[in-house]
Amino acid sequence: MNFDFTEEQYQLRDAARDFFAGECPPSHVRAMWDDQTGRSPALWRAMAETGFVGLTIPEEHGGLGMDEVDLVLLLEEAGRAALPEPLVETTAIAAPTLVEAGTPEQQAHWLPRIAAGEAIATVQLAGAPFAVDAHVADVLVLERDGRLHAVPSERFNAVAQPSLDGARRVFTVEAETGPDTAMAGGPDAAAKAYDRAAWATASVLGGVAHQLLDMTVSYVREREQFGRPVGSFQAIKHKLAETLLVVETSKAATWYAAYAIATDRADRSEAVSVAKSYASDAERKANLEALQCHGGIGFTWEHDLHLWLKRGKALEQAYGSATEHRARLASRLFAS
Amino acid sequence: MRIICPVKRVPDTAASKKVDPDDFTLDRDSVEAILNANDEWSIEEAMRIKERDGAEVIVLCMGPEQAQTTVRKALSYGLDGAIQVTDPAIHGSDAVATARVLAGALREESFDLIIMGNQSSDARTTLVPAMLAEFLDLPALTYARKLEIDGRKLTAHRETASGHVVVEAEMPAIVSVVEAINEPRYPSFKGIMAAKSKPLSTRDLGAVGVDASEVGLANSWTQIIEATPRPPKQAGEKVDDDGSGTVGAKAIADFLAAQKFI
Repeated sequence: MNFDFTEEQYQLRDAARDFFAGECPPSHVRAMWDDQTGRSPALWRAMAETGFVGLTIPEEHGGLGMDEVDLVLLLEEAGRAALPEPLVETTAIAAPTLVEAGTPEQQAHWLPRIAAGEAIATVQLAGAPFAVDAHVADVLVLERDGRLHAVPSERFNAVAQPSLDGARRVFTVEAETGPDTAMAGGPDAAAKAYDRAAWATASVLGGVAHQLLDMTVSYVREREQFGRPVGSFQAIKHKLAETLLVVETSKAATWYAAYAIATDRADRSEAVSVAKSYASDAERKANLEALQCHGGIGFTWEHDLHLWLKRGKALEQAYGSATEHRARLASRLFAS
Repeated sequence: MRIICPVKRVPDTAASKKVDPDDFTLDRDSVEAILNANDEWSIEEAMRIKERDGAEVIVLCMGPEQAQTTVRKALSYGLDGAIQVTDPAIHGSDAVATARVLAGALREESFDLIIMGNQSSDARTTLVPAMLAEFLDLPALTYARKLEIDGRKLTAHRETASGHVVVEAEMPAIVSVVEAINEPRYPSFKGIMAAKSKPLSTRDLGAVGVDASEVGLANSWTQIIEATPRPPKQAGEKVDDDGSGTVGAKAIADFLAAQKFI
């Protein structure tokens, strides 16, 4: 049995890495901190043309008809690049939820637009306080009383909330739902949407953690103290080796969760909670050690490290913290 | 119209390379291989012609079996098919021998235009496009930074040290391009997925009509006698200025005068 990704999945990952290196360098992320909307329509369009945005949308609606196992490595790359755009909300949560739980009318209206990059989708799910990028979203997938709704932008208001990460804008929403916004799927669909959200965030966290680690490894090779690179001291080496260990193993958990969602396995929610709790903790360690090993410079505005430190801190909590997912896992395991 | 884009598999430009101490050829297993960056410009130019005027675009690659990943990468940009020339006897071929093999493969093909990068990032000879033109008895418009097509007529802006000259030729012809010609696209995911199912024809030396005695390390016209690693960078001279600029400015002026710049 082959547990590895396919050659094509690795090619897509490499293509995503090249794309983000060219189109989403740290200077772009910084520019989005200062931008009024914090979003780049040009980048979103380029992402749609390349195939990121419509990846999970069936081919008959203009997408690529791929699944979570195809998407997981791309989400990691988005984390490595600290991508500001709502790829998680649109491609990993809203689009597949519309595919599985939307009415035929909702699907026909939204899916081709999302795949073409003409419509942005976000989500507001029970248990998650904020809707990311609701100010630019054309459609909101909203959970209300256990039911999902697809609410068009003219039927909801987005109220900006303070965000520590200036390139990740969060909102509360006041939405007007009705029978016409209701999606076909019931509570199961809402539960699956939440699983997708937690899993996708865990995947991005894997990339954030990896980037924090990579930046730190290059820094400690360069920074000298007592006449030698600080990375040659065991106190630093051990910290970073331990970090690599937890980051790598947390990725394995998110890969399994991707498979569990894509194949609708019975242990899907358990796999997702394992992934999100591991990924949040692994990133938290990477975050802590990266800042510690960088020393004072890691705090500064001028150094790029904080772009990932703050994204990581925001995502650790998003769609359930490590503690919340461990509690959810325990209640599921002990209930059965 | 049928366009053929010869491409090369090269070691990653950013990687440090190792040379085989016995025959001075590159140790290809020690570094990651990529598609020659200059070939991305030629592929982009061919794709723009395809999208504008309609054309079949074929990639041609001479290289070891592993070069198939390079060919697939090229196909992921949306090209229509590929020809790969692979033969153990090719190993170590210089520019002349490479041009001989590519010319052999091209003689078997119909084409209107050959577009290629002006050089490979590893060998950097810039000779192959012109040699290919010589072997095939075709006009060559090299170093093109702009290419216009009007019917069968090609007009290229050829980059020179001081600007550009406008050169013309009738198809069929060979064009080599430089970085300024375009901004290459990213391969789309659809293109990457489709690359696997595009036709790829693999040929050996016999199939392209080239004799093994004309190619390879031993039969190349260029022989490498010695190879020395680049010496480490020397530390520069540091001048401490007192803040007024007089010391620093004088040091710079003295340096430029000593180099006969001023």
